[in-house]
Amino acid sequence: MKQYRVKDLMVPISEYATVAVGATLSEAVVALEKAQEEYCHTQYSHRAVLILDKNKQVVGKLSQLDFLRSLEPKDEEIERIKSIGKFGFSSKSIALQREQYHRSIPPSKDIYANAARLKVDVFMQTHSEGEYVNEDTSLETAVHQLISGRHLALLVTQRKKIVGILRMSDVFAAAFHVMKEVEATG
Amino acid sequence: MKELERLLDRVIQRVNINLRELEYDVNPLVHNLIPLNQMTKFYAFYGITPNHPLNLQFRHSNLAGSYFLGRCRVTNSLLYKSDIRGDELKQKDDLFQYQEFEIPMAEDEEIEIEDSFLIKTLVHNFSHDPETLEKFFIKDTISTQYANIHGSPSNGSFLGPFATVDLTTIRDCLIGTFSYIQAGEVSHLNIEPGTVWVRSPETFNFLYRFPLQRLNNYIYFTAGSSPRGIFIDFVEDRKEAFQRVFDVLNLEPSVSVPSSASLDRFAVIKPKTHISENVLVSQRAYLQNAWLGKGANAQEQSYIINSRLEGNDITAHGAKIIEARLGKDVFVGFNCFLRGRPESQLTIGKDSIIMPHTIIDIHKPLKIPAGHLVWGLVTNEKDLDNNSMSLKAFAKIETRFSKGDMIFEGSGSEFVTTFKERIHHILEANGAFFNGISNKGHAQQNQNISFNTIQPYPKGEKEGLYPTIIIRP
Repeated sequence: MKQYRVKDLMVPISEYATVAVGATLSEAVVALEKAQEEYCHTQYSHRAVLILDKNKQVVGKLSQLDFLRSLEPKDEEIERIKSIGKFGFSSKSIALQREQYHRSIPPSKDIYANAARLKVDVFMQTHSEGEYVNEDTSLETAVHQLISGRHLALLVTQRKKIVGILRMSDVFAAAFHVMKEVEATG
Repeated sequence: MKELERLLDRVIQRVNINLRELEYDVNPLVHNLIPLNQMTKFYAFYGITPNHPLNLQFRHSNLAGSYFLGRCRVTNSLLYKSDIRGDELKQKDDLFQYQEFEIPMAEDEEIEIEDSFLIKTLVHNFSHDPETLEKFFIKDTISTQYANIHGSPSNGSFLGPFATVDLTTIRDCLIGTFSYIQAGEVSHLNIEPGTVWVRSPETFNFLYRFPLQRLNNYIYFTAGSSPRGIFIDFVEDRKEAFQRVFDVLNLEPSVSVPSSASLDRFAVIKPKTHISENVLVSQRAYLQNAWLGKGANAQEQSYIINSRLEGNDITAHGAKIIEARLGKDVFVGFNCFLRGRPESQLTIGKDSIIMPHTIIDIHKPLKIPAGHLVWGLVTNEKDLDNNSMSLKAFAKIETRFSKGDMIFEGSGSEFVTTFKERIHHILEANGAFFNGISNKGHAQQNQNISFNTIQPYPKGEKEGLYPTIIIRP
């Protein structure tokens, strides 16, 4: 049975989409598309962009969800609808309020144009302590770290340097592969 | 007055500690809200009746201009022109129904106010918290002008001007200006100004939030200044009339009062007022050219001016009715402000419910049909369309519904039934159904009442503080 280590499964940082702090969301989307075209060695394409500081150190990550968050209107009415939750209304009631609101305002291209100009710094997620994993860590420990922190990916370190990304999709593929191997060999 | 200053600082600090999670500092709002020299000017007073248990205990507190009835213990607190009405407290061996439990009362219930600052606040009803049925506690709490704490134990909370908590235990909450909360039990919540929230978990949930810009014309409160707006102007304009009733010792009623009705000697009665049988007029109520039909009531801080109430109408604490005609059995909730004009009368059809904290302020005549539920801010026909519904239609809601700024979830039928039952209970408690023999309520039981006054230290370190006083039968 193959004993996987994190470094066997990670995507090297050089293959990942990156942009500098201060870049726009539009630039981040372009970087992501480029990485997806150039590095499609697995069936799972890249789904996030790393944000680098001026020393090329990773300071944050922009996921697809973060991109989508930039499209959400942020006016007073939306804030009011969001706050209905604390009064004990069901999520269905809140969703209906949102739908009612969106129907009351005309659709606008501006939402997309405005989002394109926004800075990645506003929407990026910074990493917590539990999102770092050493490159020599075993597959089992990495699986536990993903599960306990409910993370979609971990940053792989070599000493203090970030050298890659361990994606849940790659861990899943490896675990699935081991499972099949064990089944086949009895 | 040093001791009084220390007391105020102590209360502010305790409330801030409780509200730290909400990152709220009450100090700029409260510190100069009532100048301390005002708090040394007024006597406190209490009522004695043969119908209510008596046990009053005051320790290390200021009670300026406040009124007490029943069983109440006040410690390390400042109560400015507040009404602490203990005439609905539960008594020993009463059974309290909570869900499927029937809980017997081990002893008479008591209002316990500790480390709190209440300004022109009404405290009434009884604790609905099954965990503390014998203690209606108000602890580490600050409430500002014309707030109502009704059947709502409170700990570590702040209530803005004209805020009401009703049948709800609140812990570490911020209740915004002119907000009404009836939700059973809430904690660590910051309720924005102008929120009207009525919730019975698993049964129904009603929420209305005032458009703030429009509400600010009526009431606005911010750090560094007193509350201001139409509500404040309205009560300030009538303040002088109350001075006379508090200054004169023996005051004969200026209108004829039937033997089954009760007119509190601390109410203001202006000419052309008519009081029918079974009417209850509470202290600090203001009646001017008001016609009150049988069983109608005017509760504390309510104003009824140039208006006619046909009978069994409820004017709840702090409600104002001006230039209006109300059919029979109309309920006007806490702190409502209903203002017609001489040429633009407001007419409310019978059996209607005006939700607590509703504002109706019109410049053209407006008719609310019989059997309607009205909420929010109404200044014309269009607003009324957005903010009202027939009770019959409301009762048909089965899942969820929204209209204008109101959102409702749950059973409309349960909501309407609960309201109607409560209205019936209020009328019953107030003596509206008295038949000459049975069904006595406050209107009949509050008639034989004597008032005594108590005073604070007039000078020195303890100026404004009342000595420890224990009053028992």
